[in-house]
Amino acid sequence: MLLRKLFRTAWKYRAQFISMVIMVAIGIGVFLGFNMEWFSLKKNTDRFYEETGFADYRLYDKTGFTADAAEKLRRIDGVESAERAFSVNVNAEGQDKNVLLSLNAVEGDVKFHVTAGEGYDSSADGFWLSDKFADKKNIKVGDQLTLSYSTKKITGKILGLVKISEYLICVSGESQLMPDYDVYAFVYVTPEKLMNTIGMDYFPQVNIVGNKALLKKNKNEVEDIVNAALGKTTLVISKEDYPVYSEAKGEEEGKTMGSVLPVLFLLIGVLTMITTMHRIAANEKTQIGTLKALGFKDRTITLHYTSYGFTVGLIGSALGVALGYLVAAVIVSPKGMMATYFDMPYWNLYIPWFCWIIMAITLAFLTLISYLSVKNMLKGTAADALRPYVPKKVKPLKIEKTKAWSKLSFGNKWNLRDVTRHKARSAMTLAGIVGCMILIVGGLGMNDTMNGFLSLIGNNIYNYKTKIIIDEQADPAEVIAFAEATESDFVSSLQARFGDRTVAVEIYNVSHDKFRLTDKHNRRVELYDDGVYPCLRLSGGLKIGDEIEFSFYGSEKVYRAKVAGFLRSVMTENIAMSETCAKNLGIDYKISALYTDNAPEDISGYGFISSAQSKQTVMDTYDTFMEIMLTMVLILVIAALVLGVIVLYNLGVMSYVERYRELAALKVVGLKNKHIGKLLISQNMWLTFTGVLIGLPAGVGVLKLLLVLLAREYELTLILGPITYLVSILLTFGVSLAVGALVARKNRKINMVEALKGAE
Amino acid sequence: MKVVEFEKITRSYTSGEHVLNALDGIDMSLEDGKFVVVLGQSGAGKSTMLNLLGGLDTPTSGKITVNGRDISRLNENQLAEYRASEVGFVFQFYNLIPTLTVYENVALVKEIAPNALDAEKILDEVGLKDHMKNFPAELSGGEQQRVSIARAICKNPKILLCDEPTGALDSETGVIVLKLLLSMARNYGKTIVIVTHNQNIAKMADVVIRLKNGKILSYDVQPSPLSADEVEW
Repeated sequence: MLLRKLFRTAWKYRAQFISMVIMVAIGIGVFLGFNMEWFSLKKNTDRFYEETGFADYRLYDKTGFTADAAEKLRRIDGVESAERAFSVNVNAEGQDKNVLLSLNAVEGDVKFHVTAGEGYDSSADGFWLSDKFADKKNIKVGDQLTLSYSTKKITGKILGLVKISEYLICVSGESQLMPDYDVYAFVYVTPEKLMNTIGMDYFPQVNIVGNKALLKKNKNEVEDIVNAALGKTTLVISKEDYPVYSEAKGEEEGKTMGSVLPVLFLLIGVLTMITTMHRIAANEKTQIGTLKALGFKDRTITLHYTSYGFTVGLIGSALGVALGYLVAAVIVSPKGMMATYFDMPYWNLYIPWFCWIIMAITLAFLTLISYLSVKNMLKGTAADALRPYVPKKVKPLKIEKTKAWSKLSFGNKWNLRDVTRHKARSAMTLAGIVGCMILIVGGLGMNDTMNGFLSLIGNNIYNYKTKIIIDEQADPAEVIAFAEATESDFVSSLQARFGDRTVAVEIYNVSHDKFRLTDKHNRRVELYDDGVYPCLRLSGGLKIGDEIEFSFYGSEKVYRAKVAGFLRSVMTENIAMSETCAKNLGIDYKISALYTDNAPEDISGYGFISSAQSKQTVMDTYDTFMEIMLTMVLILVIAALVLGVIVLYNLGVMSYVERYRELAALKVVGLKNKHIGKLLISQNMWLTFTGVLIGLPAGVGVLKLLLVLLAREYELTLILGPITYLVSILLTFGVSLAVGALVARKNRKINMVEALKGAE
Repeated sequence: MKVVEFEKITRSYTSGEHVLNALDGIDMSLEDGKFVVVLGQSGAGKSTMLNLLGGLDTPTSGKITVNGRDISRLNENQLAEYRASEVGFVFQFYNLIPTLTVYENVALVKEIAPNALDAEKILDEVGLKDHMKNFPAELSGGEQQRVSIARAICKNPKILLCDEPTGALDSETGVIVLKLLLSMARNYGKTIVIVTHNQNIAKMADVVIRLKNGKILSYDVQPSPLSADEVEW
């Protein structure tokens, strides 16, 4: 019989139960989805790294590593393999000049994930090409490919279409945000073929894979061991500092970013449950009392009501797991959002172990909430339990002592007292609105910020048409002559040690206004020659006039320079200086890149040009990035609206049920439905107004937090356009108004006769 | 002058195939300024009659005229206007707004009733001037019912409708409240209809209507009703 009551009561409170189930499902679903995302990415990328032999350390030396040096490295305790590698950007014949392929040759065995054709064979004569590039360009195994590097050509058959973790994120440099296989991909050849065709025996890189003993050592220890083995200082990059790995790991760090949103949902879900269960138990108090008076044991009654929380938690969690898979699949799947960023073969979904624990705790907590709610109502004797739940007495508010109080309308007084009397309900409504506001401001603000960032790059910083990458072996005089003839700006980029960090020292000559440098306020900066300009990320603790020290890899010499200012660096962590300043400091440098107004096709045939890419090609990849950004924004805004609607509707209905008698009394006195509706909506509007006042700065705060988290990758300026403010406020008010109107409509159905019959 | 007229009023409730006539073809009329008591056992139709008269419910068939106006065909808004201006309710369980003070509960009606009286004056008359700033929960049952009476009178309606107004009070308090109710109604010239089980109250009425099974059993006009002090409680 009690079971029948269980179902009937659940049916009576169906709106509340459905809301609770949805909130728990969304809370768990979003929490699980985001955590599954980073966890699955980690598992899948780790598998891919393992399968394709991702190097633990990379050593760089522009003068190149000899076979003897590689052998010395192999002899280091803990080194499993140390293979020399060469990589250069080349053009593919028959393709647009903007299309670049990164040509790689690595000694030893190269482990590919082969999707078509053959795997790596060090004696084979041909290419292993990116399967995504092949797919875009309709290239098949067995097709002939000719690559041009400088003035040299290398021709061969496609032996296999492959993926490799080295190109998990296949971008041409830090200026390319997103992979675009139409313009950039990778290709591998054997070192032997490279040597035979273009006569190169130059390996500026060594990839080291270590065993556990080596991996236990920190980077500085490894650096010391390597330097001791080679007898000189070498640039050692651990995989943690290597762009592909750190960016992929950065995606994992989405767990920090992602946790803000899911935790917010989960918290609101649990809080909604607390408020709702307490109110249901309060409403059911006389029934609880009746059951007790009839002779049911406290344990039976407790079990009866506790089962509501458990059932809601169980259904909510089950739906949450399904939703979690859905959310994760939107991001982690071969057709998902991450597939535009990562080129990997594995897209399996995994639930992190701690999520099961969190779900179990949530379920236990929800059950506990019901238990405590009913326990509270069961206190004392059966007679006590039979008495209806008496809310706390109303105490006059401080404002009531002021003159302004008497001037307030009845509605305002009623609402003000109602809000302060039902603090938990009001706080929950406020939390829902603040959450909604944070998500909308966060989403739209991120979009504004990224748009502003890209527009800063496209319209302000990059004032060139083509970026030319200069070959390592180029003759500096020839390059400078070309730069002068074509009125090009140039930069020299050198890897340096700055404190504990590896940074880029960038030496600029920007006299032709092709590349612009900006400060923190995005204002253009002319470089003075008497000092250097660390980027904003390196500016912590530094002020203008301080002296800083840095040294280049491969040399023991320490350079000291005065800080002349700070610059916004688009991507890399760097220290910028003028060419004159570099000369004054005695830095030996070679031009790395030129910024010119000539189109890529107009500058072919120069031996010193390693590759050239138009600004437009780079900017086009940003479009893909912005498309993903917009999807994310849309998800956030929809999440915000769902959150707002569910929280507000649930609390609105709860408040309506609680005030049913009051509303009926107002109706009997003669208040029209419209009047009562206005009362209900105006309370929502007050809370929305307060929520917006809190939510707006909170949203900006969350956004700032996200920017701090992203600061490792980009130096972003927080931008929030007036439209974002307006849309955020309007959407939040819109949700509140719509839900308020929906709840207010219910007052038409108030049965005055029924409502006023019951006992006080 | 007739202030209320019921013509063949039926109010039926349907539950599945079963139809229950709470009021079954009632005809009756009430004179202006009279004190009317409606008696009957539970389920006789007393409250239904009061609810129809108060515009809380509409009849299944028949016509109710109040002050010459047919209220049986009014829509929701018109009924709300009717409740705001023509009738005042006093309930057994007071039905005050817990979040409004005594004064605000009474003054509330000024927002909707076109001819509302001065709330402070009425509260003074019901003896609650010193409790105006209290909330309902801080008052005794008798005091709460006095607030309810003040609220009903403050609207300055033509008719006061009372559903067991002393039902939740002890007999001593009940008599005090009843006396107050009658004196206020008389002072302000209101027609007052009280629905009750209490036979003693009927002794004070100008008209006593007895209901049974949704029909009028008797309609007695008492030429010399007793005063509250003359009734043995």
